Amino acid sequence: MPDMVSLAQPQQRQFNPYADNGGTILAIAGADFTVIAGDTRQSEGYSIQTRYAPKVFRLTDRAVLAVNGFAADGNMFVKKVRQRLEWYRHAHAKDMPLRAIARLIQTMLYARRFFPFYVYNILGGIEEDGSGAVYSFDPVGSYEREACRAAGAAQSLVQPFLDNQIYFKNQVPAPGMAHPVHLPLSTVLSLVIDSFTSATERHIEVGDGLEMYVVLAKGSTAIQSLSTVRGIQEMTVTEDGERVFVIRRELKKD
Amino acid sequence: MASVYSPPGFNFSNEIRNNFLLEKGLPLPKATSTGTTIVGCLFKDGIVLGADTRATEGPIVADKNCEKIHYITENIRCCGAGTAADTEFTTALISSNMELHALSTGRKPRVVTAMTMLKQMLYRYQGHVGAALVLGGVDATGPHLFTIHPHGSTDKLPYVTMGSGSLAAMAVFESGWRADMSRDEALNLVKAAISAGIFNDLGSGSNVDACIITATHTELLRNVEMPNQRVEKERKYAFRRGTTAWKNQTVRDLIVKEELTTVGAGPGEAMDTT
Amino acid sequence: MDHVDINRLKTGEVNLGTSIMAVQFEGGVVIGADSRTTTGSYIANRVTDKLTYVHDRIYCCRSGSAADTQAVADIVHYALQMYSQTAGEPPTVHHAASVFQKLCYENKDQLTAGIIVAGWDKEVGPSVYNIPLGGGLFRQPWAIGGSGSTYVYGYCDATYRDGWGRDECINFVKNTLALAMSRDGSSGGVIRMCVITEEKVERLFVPGDELPRFWEGREVLGEAVPKKQPVGEAGIGLVPMAVEA
Repeated sequence: MPDMVSLAQPQQRQFNPYADNGGTILAIAGADFTVIAGDTRQSEGYSIQTRYAPKVFRLTDRAVLAVNGFAADGNMFVKKVRQRLEWYRHAHAKDMPLRAIARLIQTMLYARRFFPFYVYNILGGIEEDGSGAVYSFDPVGSYEREACRAAGAAQSLVQPFLDNQIYFKNQVPAPGMAHPVHLPLSTVLSLVIDSFTSATERHIEVGDGLEMYVVLAKGSTAIQSLSTVRGIQEMTVTEDGERVFVIRRELKKD
Repeated sequence: MASVYSPPGFNFSNEIRNNFLLEKGLPLPKATSTGTTIVGCLFKDGIVLGADTRATEGPIVADKNCEKIHYITENIRCCGAGTAADTEFTTALISSNMELHALSTGRKPRVVTAMTMLKQMLYRYQGHVGAALVLGGVDATGPHLFTIHPHGSTDKLPYVTMGSGSLAAMAVFESGWRADMSRDEALNLVKAAISAGIFNDLGSGSNVDACIITATHTELLRNVEMPNQRVEKERKYAFRRGTTAWKNQTVRDLIVKEELTTVGAGPGEAMDTT
Repeated sequence: MDHVDINRLKTGEVNLGTSIMAVQFEGGVVIGADSRTTTGSYIANRVTDKLTYVHDRIYCCRSGSAADTQAVADIVHYALQMYSQTAGEPPTVHHAASVFQKLCYENKDQLTAGIIVAGWDKEVGPSVYNIPLGGGLFRQPWAIGGSGSTYVYGYCDATYRDGWGRDECINFVKNTLALAMSRDGSSGGVIRMCVITEEKVERLFVPGDELPRFWEGREVLGEAVPKKQPVGEAGIGLVPMAVEA
């Protein structure tokens, strides 16, 4: 029987320390504010592990970090960043500036170059000059400052929408007009909500809940448009500086 | 000259090329899968079938409101999970053959006939036709409910579930099913089973479809439950006229004006059209 | 040397994890099976009937791939129907087993099917045939098969006696299957049995909560403590070994 060969192939088995827990995060910087948002579904394969697992964390009154990818690594990474920020506070009696946190995150990620934190980070907040800023990272620490960024499961759905609505890509302005450089907070919040409701409709790993953190620069006038927002909650710790708020919304649960 | 003969059934002429490409690292295009919850349930007067309405391509929702309860005959219906194209074509083919069978025998079609046709076809294709089915109906011998797996094995049971949401749905059936339920009790149980799939299985979603088959009547309840209605968007995304850039512009008149000159045609010279 | 991999199951294929058995006695045969069908770790059917009719006094017990064994049994069922119509008499068990063996042997590279054929015919009376994975054909006074059978060969060898009657065979099958089901994770559910004699085929059913019970490790695990009574008073139950007191 010459054609009856064994179908068995050599097999290698190995423990896989990573998992993909789905979900999506997003951040948009305004002139004197930043919005950092994420859905709250945590999944593995076709199963929902929990409908409420925060992916966005307040680090200081001027810095908020969103983590997406492998949830266990994400939570551990936030824990370690917070520890480093506390040590900084004890050493310098002030909060670390945003651009310094960004560089810290880079070194912390690159320290694990050959056993990375399987996490995409987006850092949002207010710079020392009072401007809104977003920093986005890859899992091993490459980063850049941007005006907006989406990451995670629905990145390919949300980022093109943001490019079109924030950067006005593929849009020609009306004759004699120019596109605005910065959008007002109310518009940004609407875009964030619409991004997530849309991603929920077309991506199975996105849904359940939405958490949007808003960081306002000291004395920002954007505070006005927050007064009408339903269910807003202030998370600010220090007096008279930047302020942090969180807004929660329901998303579809199927 | 190329042969014009085409054999009946599937065409395998690209198989060698595709296997070659696969080896070279070019993956096959992804088929739309109905990562699905489908169920069936026996009750006092017949069968209730149920399905969710989400179709997926990997993690992306391809269709938010597709139909997964397929027509076999008037008194037999079939829910499909697995590769969408396979469930669609398999059920359509068997539906067609059942009609011909009924015509040639002069008898009303039976559920076992459809079940046997389906299992023999799926077995012949050794699992390559990826259809996981729940077949139900009422015939001269009473109500019948079957599951048919992609490799061609069948099970006959009073309550069945299939697809990625089958575990969630079966949990509902195992705790809630009783013998001799009424029509409404059975329909509510099926709705609960499908809902369990919709909310707990990421492969299933959107709405509930149901189908109630009794000895005298078949009722398709399309979208009996719609628990996942779209929310209104915060903003309007209509673009201003002229938003899209263009490089050049030509305007063409679609109305063509012609001047006709009649040459030497009199009424006596009309064409003979007899 | 290259050899045929006969233990493979296609991914996602439905598996009859299975414990099956058949025993002959003076007037007939007793056949039995568990009722579990699995896809991976999921029980796709917990009340499966693996005792499959192929002719009036000939049944088979199926183990291996559900699809393969159903297809083979359907073909044999058809072949025996054709035979009895043309020959004008019922087929012998040996004839039925030969048809099974032919299919299993000639398609061994495509099939995962371990089948026991048993029944009664007027040539030899009761008989049991075992057709294991490669497609061999062996007549035996008793046969066991499926993944669960490996746990109970010793029990069967030690227990079986020639000359048993109907009821002793029923008990033998029932006890053997209960032991196999308790050790094999792919077997379980209920026990289905058939007694095939010249006169009739009798179906027997043992519910999952009425299976024969054997050693369950009470000495090491302790007695089940009733929920309402306080633990530790009047020395109720032993401390379970797994718990460090």
